[in-house]
Amino acid sequence: MRFAVFLFLALPLAAQHGQYVGGSKHPEIGNPQAIAAGSKLYATSCAGCHGPDGSGGRGPNLVRRSLWHPLNDENIFSAIRNGIPGADMPPTKLPDDQTWQLVAFLHALIGPASENTIPGDAAAGEQIFWGSKAGCSGCHAIAGKGGKMGPDLTNVGGSHPLALIKESVVEPSKDLTFLGNEGVTVTMRNGQVLKGVARNRDNYSMQVVDRKGDLHLISMMDVKELAIKDGSPMPGDYGKRLSATELRDLLAYLGHQVSRPQGISPQDKN
Amino acid sequence: MRTLLLTSLFCVCAAAQVRYEDIMKGPTENWLTYAGNYQGWRYSPLKNITVDNAGSLAPKWVYHVPNAKGLRTSPLVYKGVMYVTNSNSMYALDAVSGRLIWQYLDTRAKGQGVNRGSAILGDRVYFTSNDNYLTALDRQTGALIFSKNFADASKGISSTSAPLVVKDKVIVGSAGGDSGMRGFVAALSPTTGEEIWRTYTVPAKGEKGADSWGDLVEWGGGATWLSGTFDAETNTLYWTTGNPWPDFTGKARSGDNLYTCSLVALDLETGKWKWHFQFTPHDTHDWDAQSWPVLIDMEFRGKMRKVVLHANRNGFFYVLDRNTGEFLRATKLIDKVTWASGIDDKGVPVLIPGMDPSPDGKWVCPSVKGATNWMGQSYNPGTGLLYILTLEQCGMFNSSSQEPVPMKNFSGGGATEDGGQVILRAIDPKTAKRAWEYPMTGGGRMWTGTVSTASGVLFSGDDDGHLLALDAKTGKHLWHFNMGESLTASPITYEVGGKQYVAIASATAIFSFGLFEPMQSVPLPKITITK
Repeated sequence: MRFAVFLFLALPLAAQHGQYVGGSKHPEIGNPQAIAAGSKLYATSCAGCHGPDGSGGRGPNLVRRSLWHPLNDENIFSAIRNGIPGADMPPTKLPDDQTWQLVAFLHALIGPASENTIPGDAAAGEQIFWGSKAGCSGCHAIAGKGGKMGPDLTNVGGSHPLALIKESVVEPSKDLTFLGNEGVTVTMRNGQVLKGVARNRDNYSMQVVDRKGDLHLISMMDVKELAIKDGSPMPGDYGKRLSATELRDLLAYLGHQVSRPQGISPQDKN
Repeated sequence: MRTLLLTSLFCVCAAAQVRYEDIMKGPTENWLTYAGNYQGWRYSPLKNITVDNAGSLAPKWVYHVPNAKGLRTSPLVYKGVMYVTNSNSMYALDAVSGRLIWQYLDTRAKGQGVNRGSAILGDRVYFTSNDNYLTALDRQTGALIFSKNFADASKGISSTSAPLVVKDKVIVGSAGGDSGMRGFVAALSPTTGEEIWRTYTVPAKGEKGADSWGDLVEWGGGATWLSGTFDAETNTLYWTTGNPWPDFTGKARSGDNLYTCSLVALDLETGKWKWHFQFTPHDTHDWDAQSWPVLIDMEFRGKMRKVVLHANRNGFFYVLDRNTGEFLRATKLIDKVTWASGIDDKGVPVLIPGMDPSPDGKWVCPSVKGATNWMGQSYNPGTGLLYILTLEQCGMFNSSSQEPVPMKNFSGGGATEDGGQVILRAIDPKTAKRAWEYPMTGGGRMWTGTVSTASGVLFSGDDDGHLLALDAKTGKHLWHFNMGESLTASPITYEVGGKQYVAIASATAIFSFGLFEPMQSVPLPKITITK
């Protein structure tokens, strides 16, 4: 359910992602060997503060930061080379080629999942997504199939970094503002009770999608009581419910969900 | 009253599916297709807002569309939800409060061209991206169902018009005729986006009509910029076609340049050509056939005829038999037309020599914008009048001696215009006489359409950025509102909970208006936070 919040809040940012990823000209960007080399450099030079997967520690969460303040490759290069004056980020003495390898790795880490190598078995992940153990498709749809109450995942791999998708699955209630995707129980003045997700809620009107996917347009004149869930409506136990392999495969499946290839129309391939 | 309202406001049911038959009925409380109905009338049976009370119209809400500039979208409304588009994006709004329900943005689309609107069928809404992907979304949640490419953007084709849903087909057109491309109309599957048929508006080399061109025929243009109309009785689509390329020099394309600047009639099931009528053979002034064909039955020379009306950019207003394409009549749409002295009895322009663009420039009326353009005209069966925004304007047309190269943004010259006046005109299609006209102040920009109602109110925008309400019978001013921006879109009207609204896009926002009523105090509900 976490994805709801991302999609809702991050759509304009998704556009910036596209510009960012597409705008780079340096040959190391997207080069698997450079990314692998950058990964090693990251583990030794950066992971201590930014976390092994970029999720932060003493230093900021690089993946999440990229959503609200995306940097282009040159900016990242400059931050690594010169550090951030006034912050704990020190300058580095890495030569240009190694610095670009680090940039290539970070670019891969914070770009859309589908543009990077994704570990795991997507076919096995597909079974998990549509199966009853995880129950993802009870709330989420892909290409028009599945549940409608949760956010659509048809393009989740084309719009979100893998690390962020993982965080959304494992810790759906972390660091989120739910306005726009609150789980609500609405008691109307005529006694009707409605449960669902509020796509919008203000003091005068509310628009709620119920579990069946039906949209309800509500005037607050008609609402007697409103119960709001503190946290994501998505279960928070996927880290335990799924084995490490199952989780990896599910993420592989989600990471491959793309509505269309990056900037390519079918004819362009010919 | 609130309880009654509750029933209608409470649920937009998934079980309620938009059927072809619903669109066929034309506007009700809903507005389900770009031109209101398949006949292209932009006419609503709603009567809540009248000539007598229109003076108390007031704004109800505004929605600022992210990153919008020069919005051209015409909203759809179904069961209290409004669907509007911008470039590569769609937004679903609560039509009573204006609050955003969902948004969809295709971040991978190429180009940021304008978008004129959407289509609806079943539980889906459809729009096209600038780079020609038909996109189907769940109308209640905005979830993506498919996004399917139907034309190659790398060949100069883009997409700006609202798709037209008819029965089991989504009909799309093609934009981009001013830089060299080959126009078409295509029918796609609403289930998968797969192509069912495609009919080109310009022949391929060797095909019938290709001898009306030079070597560049396959880049000849004939874009289908706007949505078309449909006659259910004969299963016929009517579509207008754009100008030939290069726009302002005809030396590389001697001949009539079929089937540009034309009206074409196509069979819905197969796309097969039924007939065509060319308004401007060998156009050199960028006078596309733009505004959609309006279908009515009317008396003509003592006999009832099924006709198609078309107000053309070239300065003339045409009436054709819609079953055969027979030319019936053409009359001046604006006062000053200097390139042709009239239209002969076969429908061919009687040319005034020497009015082609030249290297030094040629002053011609109408200007390159045309006597009217793509903005929505409307027909009101109650008044029997057709409402058209017209532009009395002349302009300079220059030709270039450069060799035409497709896809290089070369239009064969250029055109400028100066001054001019926008005049909203009510025309009796039976006689072609003007019933009334409403002249406007402003800069001669002219881009707002019209909508009219059974209660005799006509809504349009003026050339200064006001939304207007006029008496549809007389043209008398009833109400205006300064939108604060240029208007480049057409208004619609809809009803929710027994109240009528009028909505229009300004350059950057969607506005909705209704009759003034004092606000009731809204009590805060009891709110609890649960685990």
